[in-house]
Order: sequence, then C-alpha cells, then structure tokens
Amino acid sequence: MVKKPVKFGKLIRQTIFYLFITFLAMVILLPTYFLFSLSFMSTREAYEFPLPMAPALRVDYSMTYGKRGYLLSVFDNNEGDYQTVLDTNDLEKMSEYMRYQLGAPMSILEIEEHVKLLESGTDPVKFTGKRNLWLNYGTFFSITRNAVPALIRSLQIAAMTIGISLTIGGLAGYAFARYVFAGRDALKFSVLFVRIFPGVAIAMPMVIFLADLGFYDRPIGLSLVYSIGSIALTIWITASIFLGIPVSLEEAAVVFGATKFRAFLKITLPLALPGLAAAAMYTFLGAWNETVSAIILTQFNPTFSVVVYQSLLGSVGQVNLAAAGGLVMALPSVIFTFFIRRYINQMWGGVTI
Amino acid sequence: MATLEMKNVTKQFGRKVIAVKDFNLEVADREFLVLLGPSGCGKTTAMRVVAGLEEATFGQIIIGGKDVTNLPPRKRNVSMIFQNYAVWPHMKVFDNIAFALKIKKMHPQEIEETVRRVAGMTNIDMLLDRYPSQLSGGQQQRVAVARAIAVSPDIFLMDEPLSNLDAKLRVSMRTELKAIHDKTDATTVFVTHDQSEAMSMADRIVIMRDGEVIQMGTPDDVYHRSASVFVADFIGTPPTNFLDVQVFSENGNISLKNQFIDLKLEDHYSKALDSYNNKNVILGVRPENIEITDPTKSDMAADCLVSEPQGSHQVIAIQLDKKIMKIIAPAVMKINPGQRVNLLFKQETLRFFDPETTLAIEASE
Repeated sequence: MVKKPVKFGKLIRQTIFYLFITFLAMVILLPTYFLFSLSFMSTREAYEFPLPMAPALRVDYSMTYGKRGYLLSVFDNNEGDYQTVLDTNDLEKMSEYMRYQLGAPMSILEIEEHVKLLESGTDPVKFTGKRNLWLNYGTFFSITRNAVPALIRSLQIAAMTIGISLTIGGLAGYAFARYVFAGRDALKFSVLFVRIFPGVAIAMPMVIFLADLGFYDRPIGLSLVYSIGSIALTIWITASIFLGIPVSLEEAAVVFGATKFRAFLKITLPLALPGLAAAAMYTFLGAWNETVSAIILTQFNPTFSVVVYQSLLGSVGQVNLAAAGGLVMALPSVIFTFFIRRYINQMWGGVTI
Repeated sequence: MATLEMKNVTKQFGRKVIAVKDFNLEVADREFLVLLGPSGCGKTTAMRVVAGLEEATFGQIIIGGKDVTNLPPRKRNVSMIFQNYAVWPHMKVFDNIAFALKIKKMHPQEIEETVRRVAGMTNIDMLLDRYPSQLSGGQQQRVAVARAIAVSPDIFLMDEPLSNLDAKLRVSMRTELKAIHDKTDATTVFVTHDQSEAMSMADRIVIMRDGEVIQMGTPDDVYHRSASVFVADFIGTPPTNFLDVQVFSENGNISLKNQFIDLKLEDHYSKALDSYNNKNVILGVRPENIEITDPTKSDMAADCLVSEPQGSHQVIAIQLDKKIMKIIAPAVMKINPGQRVNLLFKQETLRFFDPETTLAIEASE
C-alpha cells in the first residue's frame, strides 16, 4: 500500500472552510431552533435560567399539606430537587395553574384522586403530568382575540400587494426592457428612490394620506403602502427577465397571426414566469413580515405580525406565546416559498432559454 | 402565392440613420429572390419592412396587388424564418407549428393533418412531442421552416436562416430549403451576407450597400457582368483581381499598361475604352480567367507567393507591389513558392471599371 503524503496546507484550508460553514449554519439554525423549542415550552420553563435545551415531555409533581391547603411542588432539573410552586386549597386554581404555567393540563377530578391518596396517608404524593406541547398555540389564539381575523387580513394584504405590484411593476419592467424612450435609464434608477425613505419616517404623512382616501386601518391601505416598495423591486427583477427573452420570439408570434397583446400573453409572459414568481415571493415576504408601518397604519384591524408583536407586550406578554405566534406566522411564508420555488426552478426541458 | 412589390421604400431610424434608401423592387410569383450585402447594408431592415415588423418611413409595400403598407404583420399573410430560429421554448414542436393555425381557428383535425404534413416535409415528424431545447440547432431550424410552411403564406421571408448552423449543415440545408421552395412554390425573399449562398439559391440577386440597391440580376449577371468594383469584389471566392492600368490607343489598337503588364486588347473592347485614351481604368479579372501558360504566350509574368491546394483545384497567390492577385489553376500543376509564372488573361472575360465612379465601363451602343 502506498501511503499518501498528508498535505497540511489543504488540511488547514478545509478545516477552516468547514468551521466557517458550521458557523454559518449555526447562525441560521440556532435562532430557528430556539424559537421552535421555546414555542413548545411552558411558561415556567420559558422563564427558567438557564433556559432548557428542549421542552420537557412530563412534569413530576409532589403534593403535601401546606399552610393554606395543599402544597404543590414540581421537580426542577436545574436544582435537582422539588421546588414549591403553589399553596392552595382551591383545586380549580391548581388545575388552571398546571395548564397555563406548567403546560401539563390535569382535570380537577384527576387532582382530587391524588388529594384522596394524600388524605389516606401517603405523604407526600408523587405523580406525573403529561405535557401538552401544542398548548401554547391554542392559548395564543384564545388570548389574542383577533388573531384569526388578523391572519386572514394579512393574507388579503399579501395577495393584494402581489396583485398590484406584479401588474404595475411587471408592465413597467416590460416597457423598460423593450422600448427606448427619453429618460429611460434615469427613470429606471429613480424608481428605487422610493425605497430610500424609512417606513417610520413617512408613516405620519401616510396616516393622513390614507385617512383622506378612507383607506386608514383597512387592508387596501396597507397593501398600497407595501406596493410602493415592491413595485420598484418588481420592475428591476422583471425588466432583467424580459431583457433575457429574445424580441424575435414575440416578433415571430406577431408575424404568425398574433396581436401584440396576444404575443405578450402567450409567448413572453409564460417565459417570464420564473422572474414573476421570484418577484411575487419577495413581495409576499415583504408584505407578510412588515410590522412597523402596520402598527402605525392600523388601529382596530391589525395584521398578524402586529398581533404577534403585541403578544410580547404588557402584562399578558409571554415569550413562549409570542414564539408560538411567530411560528404560526412563519408557516405561510414557508409554504408560499416552497410552492413558488417550483416555478422559479421551472425551465422547459431542463435548459434555460 | 403572390407577387411582391416595393415602391420607393425608405426606412429611417431617428433623424439621421437611413437604413433603406428609396428601395424599388418587384418580385415575381414563385421567384426566389436573395437580398445580398455586407452586414449593416439594410437588407434585413428591408425584409422587416415587408413583414411589417418595421414601418416604412416612405413608400409602399404591395403584396399580390394589395397595398399592405399600413397593415399589421398578422394581416399580411407572410411567414418568416428568423436568424435565431425564434421557436418558442415553452411550447412543444407540435404547438410551435400549430400556433398560427390555432389563431386562424382552424379545425383541430385539420391542424393535426397540416402539422403532420409539414413535419413530414421537413423530416421532424419524430420530434413533435419534444421541446425545442431538446433539439439540435439544425432540428430547431427545421421546426422554424415547418412553422413557416404550415400557414401557406403569400410570401416567405428568410432572414439569414442558415448563418447559425455549422458549415456542413449549412450547405445541406441550402439544398433542402431550395427543394422546399420548389415544392411549395412560395414566393421567397431570402436575406444573406454569404455570396456563395446567394449564388447557389437565387433566381435573382439584389446586391445592397448602405441602404441602396447596387445591382439586381441573375447569379450569372452579377458574377460575369458585375456593375461595379464593389459587386465584382463582393461576389466570388476568391474575389475578382483588380489592376490599375493606363489605356493607350494607337491606330485602333488598344493596349493596357502598368509596371507589370502590357496587354494588347482584342478589337471589340475598342468602343468601350475609346474615350479613356491615356487615362487610367481599373481592370477586373476573375481568378479562373487567368491561365498559367508558357513564356511565349504570356501577358505578364510574376513570382508565386504561395499555393493553396483546394483538392479539385489550387489557388495561386502572386504578389504585385502591395497587392495580392489570386489565380485558380488545375490541381495537377506543380508550382512552388518563388517560382516565376507566366500569365495569360482570357480576353472575352475582362471587365473595366471607371476609377472615379467605380462603375463598370460598358460599350455604348
């Protein structure tokens, strides 16, 4: 057997490369994992320090007599011992505490059985509660009264924004790609100017403007505001796509009997689909995730991102609930992106134009 | 099938660029007409004006006796083959061919039959279910041809359809296109910058330069009776050899002289060159019209620079001053570089051009 000489330079380069890749993966994956695991944690776990790596699947209880009634303790992994959490003789209160604070719902009847066991002489009574991991998601929708309508509104807004910016931006992109006119390049560049202004900076004028139009606190108002930015982006994406489609394809259609509009519809548009899909994806993500303008431009009809944001605020604010809301919010983005990815990758016969 | 007429067509881009200048053309029914010229000469623009893809600035386009100048392309009943084929990549071959027929609201049964028929003619009947990206360049070209035939147009327009093919395929597609033209009897306008393509396919050639027609005629006309130095230089490989010579007329005997040559002309040239006595003219002689001979008969002698064997014949290059003259000689003749060769000009084939206008000097009848 021939021994290969070890090349240290290559070894070091590769090690550094993989370390870097690992670092990148951590930067992306860790926060996602953190959000994911937080959304399944009970309130008690979520505020523990240090934070557990993963939500527990069961809760170990210990019950004995306390000053006011029954003293409930739970096993704490950090301390390695039972910690007293509640002293009450109100079993309803105890059941609620188990549900909302410990994430392991137990009915009063079940608790009564353990109480009976305690009264019959077993002291302390030890028992386990099964964690319900999906509890936060239910709680999120039940305590934020308008989460479901807000979700629907957000979808409406995203759809309208896509509609507006693809229509206007797509047609403008086509014009920029196909026609030569005075000031074309200057105009194409200047459409990006609207993206210079921070949303917060122009929010007050926007409120007044939308109120004048009667669009304040309505989905159409927000989608108009979002369209301003995404039209500019759509123009740039679609213009470059249209530029890549040879004019002769349209000309051939026109010679072979099509009107100009039909040639656009039947030839250019299908060929531009990947670009339009990419623009739609950007637009969707922008409109779906936007929070700052939405906070200012809505009052009683917030978007879902605003609801998630509000779940962090005030006395009801809990990080685990916000995490659950955040994951619910991420889901449509993920679904939409995967759905539209097919169109972005779609190339006829496996080869590009 | 129909005739095509272009009357005083001018196409201007912006204020300054004149792509086609006062273009007049009549194409007979079933004729195969080639627009030939160097790139940028306006030949493609002239064709696009016929198709309606460009609007004529002035002038009229008449197809089959009907003025179509202001009609959109789809109402002109022309079909076109593009340089880059322009087959639609998102449609299968079948749909590419059927596109125009569907717009015409042809019965599906009839569409199917037409597509199969033209696909058979162009040998792509096995490829109807494929996408263009799965085809070779030559096959895509056939799809473009099939699509153009399917609509049975009045006029066939072909915009350098062979220039994207490799050399061998180009020559075989030439033959096929010509055969298809004969089968379909379509009036055809073919644009190319390749003179050998033009010579081999055309019934009539229109040679253009800078937006203007330089000469119009059969391949024989433009080759043997070139109207100007430009045409004589543009047509033929190798091109015509040009020599600056002075005319001397003595007692009705005309001779041409310069530092290399002293050529006595036959009598029938005297009429044409009468007025050029003691003046310069440009003598044009095709490479195949110079014979390598023995010293007794020679018109001039020079040293061979290189010989380029072509298989069936060889091209002998000789250096005269700063110019290189090319001669086509039989392949069997053995000539080494540096060897002195004696040249005899075939008198009946000589052409003379005026050095100022560069136009051919014809005998005034």
